[in-house]
Amino acid sequence: MASLRNVAVVGFAQAPIVARDAHRIATEMLYGQVRAALDQCGVERDAIDFQAAGSADYLDGRPFGFVAALDVMGSWPAKPDLHLEMDASFAAYYAWLRIQAGDSDTALVCGYGKTSEGEPDRVLNLQLDPYYQAAIGLDPTSTAALQASAWMARSGATDRQLAALAARRRAAGARNADAQLREPTTADELAKTPWAVEPLRQGYLPPVGESAVCLILAAEGKAEKMCDRPAWIRGVDQRIELQTLGGRDLSRSAGAKLATERALAMAGLARAADVDVVELCATTPAEELILCEAMGLDAAGSRPAINPSGGPLVGNPVMMAGLIRLGEAFRQLAGRADGHGVAGARRAIAHGAQGHCLQQNVVWVLGDERRWT
Amino acid sequence: MTEPLEQRVVTEFPYKHSTGEVIGRFLAGLKDQKRIWGQRVAGQGVVVPPVGYSETDGSAGGEWVEVKPTGVVTAVARVYRPIAQLHPCAEPFAFVLVKLDGADTALAHVVRDDLERLRVGTRVEAVWAPDADRTGSIRDIACFRVIT
Amino acid sequence: MSASEPPKEPVKYVEKQVHLPYCYVAGDYKARYLAALKDKTILGSKCSRTGKVFVPPIVASPESFAPCDELVPVADRGIVTTFCIVNIPVIGRAIELPYVAASVALDGADISIYALVQECAPEAVRMGMRVEAVWKPDGERQGSHEDIVHFRPTGEPDAPLASFMHRL
Repeated sequence: MASLRNVAVVGFAQAPIVARDAHRIATEMLYGQVRAALDQCGVERDAIDFQAAGSADYLDGRPFGFVAALDVMGSWPAKPDLHLEMDASFAAYYAWLRIQAGDSDTALVCGYGKTSEGEPDRVLNLQLDPYYQAAIGLDPTSTAALQASAWMARSGATDRQLAALAARRRAAGARNADAQLREPTTADELAKTPWAVEPLRQGYLPPVGESAVCLILAAEGKAEKMCDRPAWIRGVDQRIELQTLGGRDLSRSAGAKLATERALAMAGLARAADVDVVELCATTPAEELILCEAMGLDAAGSRPAINPSGGPLVGNPVMMAGLIRLGEAFRQLAGRADGHGVAGARRAIAHGAQGHCLQQNVVWVLGDERRWT
Repeated sequence: MTEPLEQRVVTEFPYKHSTGEVIGRFLAGLKDQKRIWGQRVAGQGVVVPPVGYSETDGSAGGEWVEVKPTGVVTAVARVYRPIAQLHPCAEPFAFVLVKLDGADTALAHVVRDDLERLRVGTRVEAVWAPDADRTGSIRDIACFRVIT
Repeated sequence: MSASEPPKEPVKYVEKQVHLPYCYVAGDYKARYLAALKDKTILGSKCSRTGKVFVPPIVASPESFAPCDELVPVADRGIVTTFCIVNIPVIGRAIELPYVAASVALDGADISIYALVQECAPEAVRMGMRVEAVWKPDGERQGSHEDIVHFRPTGEPDAPLASFMHRL
């Protein structure tokens, strides 16, 4: 592979995930995070060459609402900008590509959205095709349950195993100041909660939550000046799968598997298990198990640590849960994970996902050392 | 601290989505013939319901192939509290993926009865909506029912 | 003998009725702005770096990227900066045609608000014209944009173009 530019995550700010911020609109939640991320890097907005964001106008109930966010991203004088109607982790991927193109050295990546203002089950029905899948009323909780059932039928996984995994993530969430669910609980308690959509119980799923996040990328030469411990991007790959759920084997994530293989190869690593920390954008325990299988990870193992932040199971702000995974990987490598830090973490994998049943996946491999010389 | 100010709004979008020839003819088959047609597609086999192209390699869809109204469930999601104005019925039901006999992909649909007997591997068959109620929609198949 | 393919005549379209309830948050800035309208007060927010005042209030200046921490009242009168004469009906708006939709730069504000200009012939409206808010009577104001019924000419001398060029 041709030599690429070394690019690092150098700043990350996140509003704590809450059920509803009744006092601030989405742009007001975001402004503070952009300022905080710039402050971490010791720069003003004019130090940033490119900006990208991910959000969904339908979720916010504001057609073309993403335009309003430009005002709080520092878009004046007129800046080059990219907006994706996808999780902001994909916006980060395109920002990384733009830096590879050579005309930008730094980029700001934002994710935002007031999930609590609308009803995600109704809104995300519209992600499906209108003839066959949206027309029968499928919602994301139900499609996640279909995927969980396919996984359980193939793997033999039990309700009890899902409960145990959810309880472990809840325990981790109790140590993460930005998590929405911070009360530890037991697998026994979670297994008693009512079905959300069987085979997924309410206790296994994150409640509606909202946040705002800003992450800053910088190329070698600037990254070292903006951060004392940059998290270098050593590999990244992005893969999509079919929109038709019945055209895929839902019990597997072929896209995550391929993206992981490619990102690891780019990073010069043989196995996902060779990293210290993995942050997975899994919104159900079944998704997490499917991802672990696709990546060759032991979901119950202690190293690598999987979702030490608690992951999306303890806070799932839609359209930014994936970018938070990249931010969490940065926090681990930069020694900024505070209460949920993994001692001695030097390499990490961050995963972002978008769409029903893990339709689209992006996988990042990060390290505390540069990849290319 | 300022007292929070909120506003409730309901947004309605009355869309009419053009179907195109392949989806349109598949739906006409449900409405006029009570028959289920798939399309033979490179890389995917017999795709039901068809979209007119291969989702894996982008090639055009090929010949029409009729499949059976019976098949096997490949995934089940039981909904105990249906969401009004989204879900297809007010009583508990299940979303299912069904691989119809003769098809290589699965169709997403619903099962309304015998939910306790329903699991991956269960055989089901299509229940047609009455003649007067079929409008050229995937819901011209009213639901699937468990075959004993 | 049964057909070997589906009907030649396709179904032309499917209907989808999308039903999306929302419960919007106004945010504290806009909540205070709207509440103040009940008292016939128009609030803006002041940029901590440039001193420019934005109406309705926003938390940060898109221009300087500095916070606008301070809410300040602005006048309920100002200058027509640009306008157009509307001759086509808009669904959901019952105003007699033609009418004037204008940008009005309130005294003390650095950007314009959208306003109706009435109580004069549409062709009498011009750039630089001085106008003032006509409020709903006491007791009828709800804390909404409709508390200002419209703007009307004050009869004061027009403002010279150079005085509001930066607010166009």
